[in-house]
Amino acid sequence: MTTASTTSTPTSTPSASVAPLLSIAGLVRRFGGLTAVNGLSLSLADGELVSVIGPNGAGKTTLFNLITGLDTPDVGSVAFAGQDVTGFAAERLAGLGLARTFQHGRVFGNLSVLDNVLVGAHTRLRAVRPPLGLPLLGPLAELGLALLPPAAVRAEEERLRAEATEIIALFGDRLTPRLDKPAHSLSYANRRRVEIARALALKPRLLLLDEPTAGMNPTETAEMLEIIRGLKGRGLTILLIEHKLDLVMQLSDRVVVMDHGARIAEGLPSAVATDPAVIEAYLGHKAVGAANQDDAAAVVPTKRGIGE
Amino acid sequence: MLDVIARSAALVAGTLAVLTALGVAQPARSQTAADPTKEPVVIGVSGPLTGAYAQYGAQWQRGFDLALEQVNASGGVQGRPLRVQFEDSQSDPKQTVAIARKFVADSRIVAELGDFTSAASMAASPIYQNAGLVQFGFTNSHPDFTKTGDFIWSNALNQAEEMPVLADYAVSALGGKRIALLFINNDWGRTSKDLFTKAAKERGAEVVGAEGYLADEKDFRSALVRVRDTKPDGIALISYYADGAQITRQLREAGLSQPVVAAGSVYSPKFLELGGAAVEGVHTTTPFFPGDPRPEVQTFVSAYTAKHGIDPDAYSSRAYDALLLLATVIRQSGPDRKAIRDGLATVKDAPSVVYGTVRFDPQTRRVDKPFSTRLVVKNGAFALWQPGSTDAAKAAN
Amino acid sequence: MFPTSFGPWLDYTINGLVIGNIYALLAVGLALIFGVSHLINFAHGSVYMVGAYIGWLGITKLNLPLPVTFAAVAVGCGLLGAVIERVGLRPLRNAPRIAPLLATIGLSVVLDQSAQLLFSPDPRALPTQLPSWRIAIGGGSIGALDLLIAGVGIGSAALLYGFLRFTRLGWAVRATALDRDAAQQCGVDVDKVNRTVFAIASALGGVSGLLVGMYYNTIDPNMGFQAGLKGIVAQLIGGVGNVPGAIAGSLLLGLIESYGIALFGTSYRNLFAFVALILILVLRPNGLFAKARRLPPEPLTGTFIAPSRPLVLPGWLIGLLIVAALALPFAVQQPYLLQTLGNAWLYALLALSLTLVAGTVGQVSLGHAGLLAIGAYASALLALDAGIPVLLAVPLAGVIAAALGTALVFPAFRLRGHYVSIATLAVGEIVTLVILNWESLTRGPIGVTGVPPLSVAGTPLVSGQWVYWIPLVVLLVFAGVQTRLLSSHLGRTLRAIREDDVAARSYGVDLNRYKGLAFAVAGFVAGVGGALMAHFYSYINHETFPAPVSMLALTMVILGGLGNVAGAVLGAVVLVGLPELFRAAAEYRMLIYGVVLLLLIRFRPQGLLGTV
Ligand SMILES: Nc1ncnc2c1ncn2[C@@H]1O[C@H](COP(=O)(O)OP(=O)(O)OP(=O)(O)O)[C@@H](O)[C@H]1O
Ligand SMILES: [Mg+2]
Repeated sequence: MTTASTTSTPTSTPSASVAPLLSIAGLVRRFGGLTAVNGLSLSLADGELVSVIGPNGAGKTTLFNLITGLDTPDVGSVAFAGQDVTGFAAERLAGLGLARTFQHGRVFGNLSVLDNVLVGAHTRLRAVRPPLGLPLLGPLAELGLALLPPAAVRAEEERLRAEATEIIALFGDRLTPRLDKPAHSLSYANRRRVEIARALALKPRLLLLDEPTAGMNPTETAEMLEIIRGLKGRGLTILLIEHKLDLVMQLSDRVVVMDHGARIAEGLPSAVATDPAVIEAYLGHKAVGAANQDDAAAVVPTKRGIGE
Repeated sequence: MLDVIARSAALVAGTLAVLTALGVAQPARSQTAADPTKEPVVIGVSGPLTGAYAQYGAQWQRGFDLALEQVNASGGVQGRPLRVQFEDSQSDPKQTVAIARKFVADSRIVAELGDFTSAASMAASPIYQNAGLVQFGFTNSHPDFTKTGDFIWSNALNQAEEMPVLADYAVSALGGKRIALLFINNDWGRTSKDLFTKAAKERGAEVVGAEGYLADEKDFRSALVRVRDTKPDGIALISYYADGAQITRQLREAGLSQPVVAAGSVYSPKFLELGGAAVEGVHTTTPFFPGDPRPEVQTFVSAYTAKHGIDPDAYSSRAYDALLLLATVIRQSGPDRKAIRDGLATVKDAPSVVYGTVRFDPQTRRVDKPFSTRLVVKNGAFALWQPGSTDAAKAAN
Repeated sequence: MFPTSFGPWLDYTINGLVIGNIYALLAVGLALIFGVSHLINFAHGSVYMVGAYIGWLGITKLNLPLPVTFAAVAVGCGLLGAVIERVGLRPLRNAPRIAPLLATIGLSVVLDQSAQLLFSPDPRALPTQLPSWRIAIGGGSIGALDLLIAGVGIGSAALLYGFLRFTRLGWAVRATALDRDAAQQCGVDVDKVNRTVFAIASALGGVSGLLVGMYYNTIDPNMGFQAGLKGIVAQLIGGVGNVPGAIAGSLLLGLIESYGIALFGTSYRNLFAFVALILILVLRPNGLFAKARRLPPEPLTGTFIAPSRPLVLPGWLIGLLIVAALALPFAVQQPYLLQTLGNAWLYALLALSLTLVAGTVGQVSLGHAGLLAIGAYASALLALDAGIPVLLAVPLAGVIAAALGTALVFPAFRLRGHYVSIATLAVGEIVTLVILNWESLTRGPIGVTGVPPLSVAGTPLVSGQWVYWIPLVVLLVFAGVQTRLLSSHLGRTLRAIREDDVAARSYGVDLNRYKGLAFAVAGFVAGVGGALMAHFYSYINHETFPAPVSMLALTMVILGGLGNVAGAVLGAVVLVGLPELFRAAAEYRMLIYGVVLLLLIRFRPQGLLGTV
């Protein structure tokens, strides 16, 4: 499957004319003989929620890694907020306002829930910002501020704690009673919530969610849907990877379908769901024996409502 | 084989015994003996019984055992039995300082022997010096060992004395003009190297190459290529017995057939055992040599072989000698810490297996003018070297 | 005396290959074990030693024919390997990763000490019964034993290859190596696989011991440590867990050493090899023969540190303990006790330093004694050669150790997991070897004598009370600082790096900056500790802080609980105290120490106080 033959959907979306917040062009990433991402282009406007769907192994997570700087593309470029950020390190991109969650959950197991979320606010700390721009002075000043915190730093810490507690409260009383529990003691679903809370603590300009409802039961999935809807309502720009198509259909402004690393369809949720190429990609994979029953069932659009 | 089984059983039993005893066992002291004049006179020993240097500690132990037996069989010192309290230090400085505090605080202990490595021994020296307890380092050849103060003494062979003797052997007796040197890269080897180089030059020879190796090195093949390429006509080893034997083996295998002269520290039955046929013809100088006809040496050697079933080596003979020397001093000056220090300064011609007789230079607190014997390995044994048999090394090939 | 013609280079090459050949024997077994159990087996060197002794019994005591001896060694050591797996590792299957590592250290202490007690510490000759012909190659020669060693190395690698490719158990081994959990779900008996691998690797290790013993005609109870270290380095060069890579890495290491000798001289051999190791790791962070760069797979939870529920000591108890510790010299005047505890406080400084980098940040350093050495030399030389007052030299030494230590470890910041440990081990060795070789600054092997004691107003502070109080007060200050640091934002940032460095990066944590910060603080603490030791000891040389000190420090840290400040202090007190406590046991005491260590790991694998 090549890039040329893929785009079967309109490229002009309602917001594409405004300067995009994120725009990637011609991304390629190969692992040995396997091309995980194959000439992918995509752009995302401020306030938009775009979903990336596709069968297992389509290259979605790899795409996220390329955007967030954990991996570097072999070819292609990534621009964020008008700046070419290709090859920027992950930590630098976080500083620019990019936050992500991980598919399998990468919470800090032995840190408390609150500390996990506070690490999310790392880039916003006063102590982290370089004073005078001298290379060695920054870390030393940070050490000084940590050991002998002046009032302003202590106040900041208090403020962030309050804020983190507030973010955690977004999830109702799923997490709040467990604020001081180590993350390894949480259920799988709760760890996903901690990840999202951690991402929100960064005050991101762009939030990338990699299968936020994986492993959640229908009730939990419905809750998560509401939370994401709320975030979108607050104007947050979101790039979402999700296998549960109901959720995708309800939330997305636009859907990008990937297979074998390339975009095979893009457009409004309703249009994509009926695209023959998409159905072919999913069914074809399913026929070969999709490894994951859950996912295979979920990708076939059904009339089943969320939370049923 | 049987002895191994026996020792296995002892090992298991010993471990169990010690583990069960640990709860109750307190350091055996204050068993309130009635008569202070019958109380043993105790000499503390700090040395490695476990760890990387344990083999040397074991050799010391054999020497001490024999010396104690003899001293106590002849009535002890001033009518009191002589004891040794051997504390295992692993030659680890943090343990030698703790042992030093222990000895210093123990009023029964009148003098101390050891430790083995310079790093371990000299870390404890200030404690002995400040407390006024003699630290007698009988293997400590570090040039600064005795400089900590007037309670620090040593009868270790001074390299400033030994190296010219060795150089003399290599140059004047064996006719070396271009000598390649291999030395163990520690304080002893490094000091010896400089002294040897100087002494060789004074005798009209040149040291054409000096290779320092680390103590735990076993492979010398590449070092020997460097040695070979300097085209030496003699090879000198500043080595202990295990590495000395190893170098000699690999040297012969590499086809180097020059005469080899080794420092006295290779003097050990182990040198012959580990080196096998390759060490045939190796020359060394040593103050102590079991074949020495002096009666005290002969008594020592026969008693030692009877007791331990093996020939004495350099370290056990030194340990034996050191303990006997202290016994002599205590007999003369009394079992008192300060008296022992003063006694060491004045002791004259104390009998010594290693040196014949010993006197100390009270300024340097080292042995004054020791003598040495020239030896050569012949038919798998150390033998006195006779001039004229210079080609012993070549014959071995 | 630079070799200019081709001839010597041929000799150096052959010599390098000969010695590399010997390293390969151990590296292959280590690689196999690492492949399936992700464990650097520090007991492997001891198995090698045991093999040599079994061979010695067979050859010199029982007069067995050589092939029978070989078989006996292989069987004996194979059984030993299975036992090691069973008693040392299987019970720790669900314990933190670091616990089995510590268990192998404990096992090697027990094995080495037992051998020392059974066979006496004296080296023994192990004569070969092989024909003594030699083939001249270049300026040197190789003998029958060289060929036999090469044959055993290549033969066992080929056998292993066949076993892994063509037998059911071999498939199971490979499946387990790829993904242990998945293999288990597919019905692979992972325990059996582990046992088999340990048995095979240990049999091979034992045969190597015998071969090398015959090669050098020497065996001794301590022969395993150095050999094991070389094997570990060699397999790392090839890429951990990679059997052909281990052979290639070994040959390469042999060549590097040999060329190092050729270029710089014998005393630079290991220095050159360790610098080369670091360069290789920096250029190829996963070993020379690893596949193309891969993002580490996403773990399900934290990466390295197992879940832990630390024991939190209540504040009043800590306060009480501190007051009691400070007041102790008033109650007890035994200088021996005070000195021992003073030593414990000094080592607690080292443990405190290591627990920050190894525990809090998860960078398990195996070369931490190097920081002590830097601090000790810096302070001693500042005081002696620059005439700086001791009280000023000590903190300056801390700064120097912080700066130099961080700079030296900096190249290792991009490494992960076990590679960090080996790189730091190399850095530790490099520090020692530079001290040994840089005579104009450090006085080389002669060491620094006459280091002045700490003194106030001309009064030296050398009595039993001062060697107790000074380290204690310094320790309390640093422990307080570290506690404060851990409760600040830095604490959570550093721990986040340990738990999941990828996630931490994604939240803006600059790994280099924080690893650097942690190493700098750790370097300062350890540097001050080393400086104090120098002034108490009055004499230091390159042997004052040898590699086993680094191992001891790591043991303290793991025993106390990773990252745990109180745990580091407790670990130091226990491990400095136990050998003193066991003094009555004379030469048995290190054996008892090893057994106690094993029991502690067995029943408290997350450390006495737990990871924080
Ligand atoms: N670091 C890597 N090294 C080698 N191959 C990789 C690597 N990461 C991903 N791959 C491969 O790239 C392909 C795309 O993987 P990716 O994880 O991006 O898929 P995905 O679309 O996220 O799938 P899923 O829906 O299962 O999460 C897969 O075949 C995967 O095996
Ligand atoms: Mg994915």
